[in-house]
Amino acid sequence: MIYVIDHKDSFTHNVVHQFSLFEDVECDDFSKINKSKLNQASTIIFSPGPGSPKDYPLSSKIYKKFKRKKKIIGICLGFQQILFSEGAQIIEQDKIYHGFQSEVIVNKSSKLFKDGQKFKVGRYHSLKLKEPFIVENFDITMRCVISGAAMSFENNIDKIYGFQFHPESFLTLNGKFLIKKILSA
Amino acid sequence: MNKKNYLNNINNSKKPFIIYKSNKGFDLFTNFSKKIILNNQNIIKFLNQKYMIKKKYKNTDLLIGFFGYELLNNLIGVKLPQQKSINFPKGIFYKPETKIILKEDLIYDLNSSHKVDKKFKININQKSYTKIFDKFKKKIRAGETYQIKICTKYKNKSQIDPLDFFCRLTKTNLAPEAFMIKDKNYSIISCSPENLINKKGLSISTKPIAGTLRKTKKINKTKALNFFRNNIKETKEHNMIVDMERNDLSRICESGSVKLKKEKTVEEYKDLYHYVSLVIGKLKKNINNIDIIKAMMPGGSVIGCPKISTLNLLNNQEKENRNIYTGSFGFIKFNGDMRFNIIIRSILNYKNISEISVASGVVIDSNAKHEFNENFIKAKALIDLYK
Repeated sequence: MIYVIDHKDSFTHNVVHQFSLFEDVECDDFSKINKSKLNQASTIIFSPGPGSPKDYPLSSKIYKKFKRKKKIIGICLGFQQILFSEGAQIIEQDKIYHGFQSEVIVNKSSKLFKDGQKFKVGRYHSLKLKEPFIVENFDITMRCVISGAAMSFENNIDKIYGFQFHPESFLTLNGKFLIKKILSA
Repeated sequence: MNKKNYLNNINNSKKPFIIYKSNKGFDLFTNFSKKIILNNQNIIKFLNQKYMIKKKYKNTDLLIGFFGYELLNNLIGVKLPQQKSINFPKGIFYKPETKIILKEDLIYDLNSSHKVDKKFKININQKSYTKIFDKFKKKIRAGETYQIKICTKYKNKSQIDPLDFFCRLTKTNLAPEAFMIKDKNYSIISCSPENLINKKGLSISTKPIAGTLRKTKKINKTKALNFFRNNIKETKEHNMIVDMERNDLSRICESGSVKLKKEKTVEEYKDLYHYVSLVIGKLKKNINNIDIIKAMMPGGSVIGCPKISTLNLLNNQEKENRNIYTGSFGFIKFNGDMRFNIIIRSILNYKNISEISVASGVVIDSNAKHEFNENFIKAKALIDLYK
């Protein structure tokens, strides 16, 4: 079972809908976590959401508790939440992407996707990862073709993955494929 | 029946009535046997009530009315701070005993005089609007909201004939979700273009609008489509709303059933073009009407995104109750089917005070002066009725 932790977003249920195509999904608000569901889950997903990772200390706590014990996936805010919990800084960006389709490109550090492969993806983020970001086992594996901003990471040792963009958005053309790859990793 | 006399007669009879746009014309509902005034307590019971299952339903086996903005906030657990209020009911539904089918061309002769004021007072001037605008832009930069709609309100003291207003409005702006309510102490006149819920059996759809273009002789439908496609700001706003509506339907629909049936198409109306999408889904079996209302309302396209944090930002900003504005009007049939719109482009006349609320969106690349004027343009079609 996949347990989605909802940060009160208006896209979380698109995530739930998409992952339900592969596995059973349960979803609760981040402030109303069901401990038994959380413990039962094989995968935890941190949802997109408004604000910044520092607004959600409970989610960081859950991340640290279950790191290496379960597969963990973060989307948009969830992506930032994981990196923030690993010590990264999340900062405002000059150009803001809300409802924007852009192209991302896979680099050679990816184990799941082919180096040089491009995807059209939907973006909804005000904030971004401050780089350089160097933490053991974490690789930035996709970047925005134009700005170079970090768009996904993989930690294949601990099975932790994240997308800055929204694989569940109708603006992402191969969302289902991206999800499938990560779930089977 | 002579429809001309019918409208004159019903208006003279002083009986409350409702008119709602149908596919081909209008439906008029009257002879109400029940009137339910909703509040934060009785709404749950109202939405959970079960109707008798019949083999054949009458065309009046339904409840028709509206949910105000505050009621819908409360229903999803969003609390409003103390606001200036005119104590207008939070929601009202009626059980009609008569339904009359009317043609699109409504004929009504105004035969009495009414005291109508042409001047309107606006509750937020451009200076304060810009202040709010800048504040919300910072919130967008910080990621607290991605799109937020600032509401302004125009008010005056007028005694109006709502049927006269509605008939004139349908001549200049025939909107697919237009409706009017005339009751003893209030009336609502609306040319809403936007359908929020269309539910038949287990099928459900929503038709968000984001993007409006005024019609001129130079602009045809193809040109309108090109305008929207090339306008990055409109496109981004629209994309956001589409993903939000997909999300809201996904809460109540079977997984894999939520689909974008029509993506970013142009619909042509008498005076304008709208940029419209259609999202459909198949309801899960255990879903009740209350779950549908809670998932879909208040309609996201007129609030902003993400819904909850944006509602909180708006509610903490706004000093006056929105009343009907961005609530929903429509009906619940006794067989469970529903149709609801989003209440925008509307006049509420209560205790001889008319109020018109309008809103336009702040996204990262919008401009305060442009949006302030946009609000006025939206209100103007209604303000012009007072001439």
